[in-house]
Amino acid sequence: MKDLKILAIISILVIITYIGIEPFAKHEMHGTVPPPDYNYLDLPKKELTGNPEQGKVLFKQNCASCHSVQADGISATMDKQTAQLSFKVVPPDLSNIASIIEPHFFAAFVKDPQSATKFPKFAMPGMSYLTDEQIGHIYSYLKSVAKPQEKLTGKDILHDACTRCHSVKYQKIKAQTDPKYLNDYLGKVPPDLSLMGKAKEEEYLATFISNPQVMLPGTSMPRLGLKQESAEKVIAYLDNIADPHKEERNKLGLWVLGYLVVLAGLTYAWKRKIWSNLH
Amino acid sequence: MKFIDWLDERLAIRQLMKVMLLEYYVPKNINFLWSFGVLIMLVLIILIVSGIFLLMYYKPDANLAFDSVNKTIMMDVEFGWLFRHVHAVGASIMFLVLFIHMGRGIYYGSFKPPRELVWLTGYFLFILMAATAFTGYLLPWGQMSYWAAQTITTLFEKIPVIGPDLVIWIRGNYIVADATLTRFFALHVVFLPLLLIFVTVVHLYAVRIVGSNNEDGIEIPKEEKKKKGIPFWPVFMSKEFFVMSVFLIFFFWLVFYKFDFAMDPINFTPANYLQTPPHIYPEWYFLAFYEVLRGFFFSQNLGLIAFVLSMLLPMFLPWIDKSPIKSGNHRPLFKIAFWIFVLDFIFLTVLGKLPPTGLYGWLGFVGSLVFFAFFIALPIISRIERKELERGGNKQ
Amino acid sequence: MAEDEKVSRRDFLLYAMGGWAAIGVGATLYAMYKTWEPLPEVKAQATVKFKLSEVQPGELRVVAWRGKPVFILRKTPDMVSCPDRTIEKEFTVVVGICTHLGCIPNWEADKKIWHCPCHGGEYDACGRNIFGPPPKPLAIPPFKIEGDYIVLGEVGPEYQRLMKG
Repeated sequence: MKDLKILAIISILVIITYIGIEPFAKHEMHGTVPPPDYNYLDLPKKELTGNPEQGKVLFKQNCASCHSVQADGISATMDKQTAQLSFKVVPPDLSNIASIIEPHFFAAFVKDPQSATKFPKFAMPGMSYLTDEQIGHIYSYLKSVAKPQEKLTGKDILHDACTRCHSVKYQKIKAQTDPKYLNDYLGKVPPDLSLMGKAKEEEYLATFISNPQVMLPGTSMPRLGLKQESAEKVIAYLDNIADPHKEERNKLGLWVLGYLVVLAGLTYAWKRKIWSNLH
Repeated sequence: MKFIDWLDERLAIRQLMKVMLLEYYVPKNINFLWSFGVLIMLVLIILIVSGIFLLMYYKPDANLAFDSVNKTIMMDVEFGWLFRHVHAVGASIMFLVLFIHMGRGIYYGSFKPPRELVWLTGYFLFILMAATAFTGYLLPWGQMSYWAAQTITTLFEKIPVIGPDLVIWIRGNYIVADATLTRFFALHVVFLPLLLIFVTVVHLYAVRIVGSNNEDGIEIPKEEKKKKGIPFWPVFMSKEFFVMSVFLIFFFWLVFYKFDFAMDPINFTPANYLQTPPHIYPEWYFLAFYEVLRGFFFSQNLGLIAFVLSMLLPMFLPWIDKSPIKSGNHRPLFKIAFWIFVLDFIFLTVLGKLPPTGLYGWLGFVGSLVFFAFFIALPIISRIERKELERGGNKQ
Repeated sequence: MAEDEKVSRRDFLLYAMGGWAAIGVGATLYAMYKTWEPLPEVKAQATVKFKLSEVQPGELRVVAWRGKPVFILRKTPDMVSCPDRTIEKEFTVVVGICTHLGCIPNWEADKKIWHCPCHGGEYDACGRNIFGPPPKPLAIPPFKIEGDYIVLGEVGPEYQRLMKG
């Protein structure tokens, strides 16, 4: 009985300390993470409709000098090296972009990338001369060539949305742009994403991806307008590669704990046996 | 049986067994707190074994260390993640059991004559363990590893005259760098563990000579030890095995499902000497001492002196608390002081992780004062108790 | 009587406990054993793919496979013939490690033999030991033919046939 009382006191003290140094201290240090905003409410909501054929023509006229659409056999006029030299970053292939980002973000982005991304140094020049109608055509063209969102994996989305600047060393993924240009473009080489799933909590990543300036004011990370599904898939992928043994661990844990419970039962029986002989 | 006789003739193992196990009597009036010594041994063994396996893949080089831990060990080596979790959680839990073990010693007066050397060797073990933990924490070469080492080594800069040169000497560079990593590695895996094992042997030997203290703090004469005690083996250990298995359930639950507390997320970013993370703090077991350092926020030098004192004062307990009554059970005043001290230690631990601004700064100051008040109160309480004893004469 | 029972029960418990603890120790040892296995990146090098048609007739190529040199020789009609050691009718594929003491023999194109620099052992163009201390012919590594390619480190039907013959 006395031993149980002591154990109870110790447990209470340990729990108080734990709450103090983990949840409480973390809350005091980081505050509450605001929820992610995947609706990009500050941008005007717009339905984007149009004609894919007209869109393809407009795409070739306005976008294809830098952007390729490999899914439709369109390659960019400018090769990677030249693009890297002039923009300090490789322009993305747009095959799947329509399935990855929100349509109204796309509309706002095409006209004024710097304010849509909240990153004043964003490399793409604005196409403010395009009308809403024209943007609708381009979007519906891109939509027609894109793989549907359900078919894109976290890794696919990461490839289209992140790896132009970020490397993922442990997965042997190199940033598409040479780090020395990125340093000029962003002021520093963006962090490697191999362990990001462990270095940051899921909530942080969600909010950071949907609105980087909220979590890290002044950061060079642009807002990319990902759909909620896209961001969630990327985060799940990052979690998975940062902690590849999670399933194995959880399963093995049960075995080990089960084993130890039996061991505790046996040692308890033996202890009672020995102590019952004492008088 | 023949073989045992043969060994006995050469190594006197029967005699050794008698002294160490069979005729080493543990008092009957002890409680579960006396199990923590054995638990410390268990954790020490777990740490050494898991450490050896980490050592087989770890690379003590500033360019390789981070990846060797986070990629090779955590992802590629079969069960490598398990050994690392066990090692990290083990280091953390080592301090939990150490603190409880030491708290038990303080409460029941186990540091008093004739056990001064048990206390001194034990306290030295605590300091060694702290040094081992500190040097080991640098090895993963993450941001937290790096900045913890950077700030703590900077403390030496404040030592008058030799300080600035000393820091450079300790680091082997103007900042914490590859040379620091390699020497910390050597200290962590060879020098400190060897010393730890050696002092542990002395500590255990000392306990076997003077015997365990007990709840009432009343010494059992040698002749009565057998009658009033239980043999270490198998009686005491049969209980210990049970306590150990329950402890292991807790330990492996942490290892598999709750290891985050021992692996700070910040440390999953590689060390960068050009960027300090927004919040840096030591591992939880150093937080109380760290808070004493920060508690005197108005004077850096005072804080440093307080920090050193807070680490060293407990060592002198046998000479600070000279009350003739040993056990806290029979010392009402001491009991109050003790529990205030324990709560203050927890309070300081929590504060140590919070940003040291505004109210928290002042609370830290008050907490630090209370920490030292305990050591000032002890001689006073001892004197009161001595006087009471004299007045009460042969009452007790 | 009752005393005896007590003792035997205690013994049984002690054995049960000891046995159960031994299982735990065994599991721990197994985990330790597993940590010494080659890492995935090493295992990834366990097989090597090589295009056989790249080799010109009479030419010798050396391919690194599991840290060992593998000699791939495309034989010409004037070299010794050995159907039981020839792959795809004209290739000699052998591990280039002398079966005597593990040195790497050199190809001497004029004599069309491998000559071991360490103790003078010699092998013909089929990799058979023809002179000196080597006790056996050069070993044929496990392989599989995949169209134009040879995959070293995997066992295919052609390899099994050679081993039987």
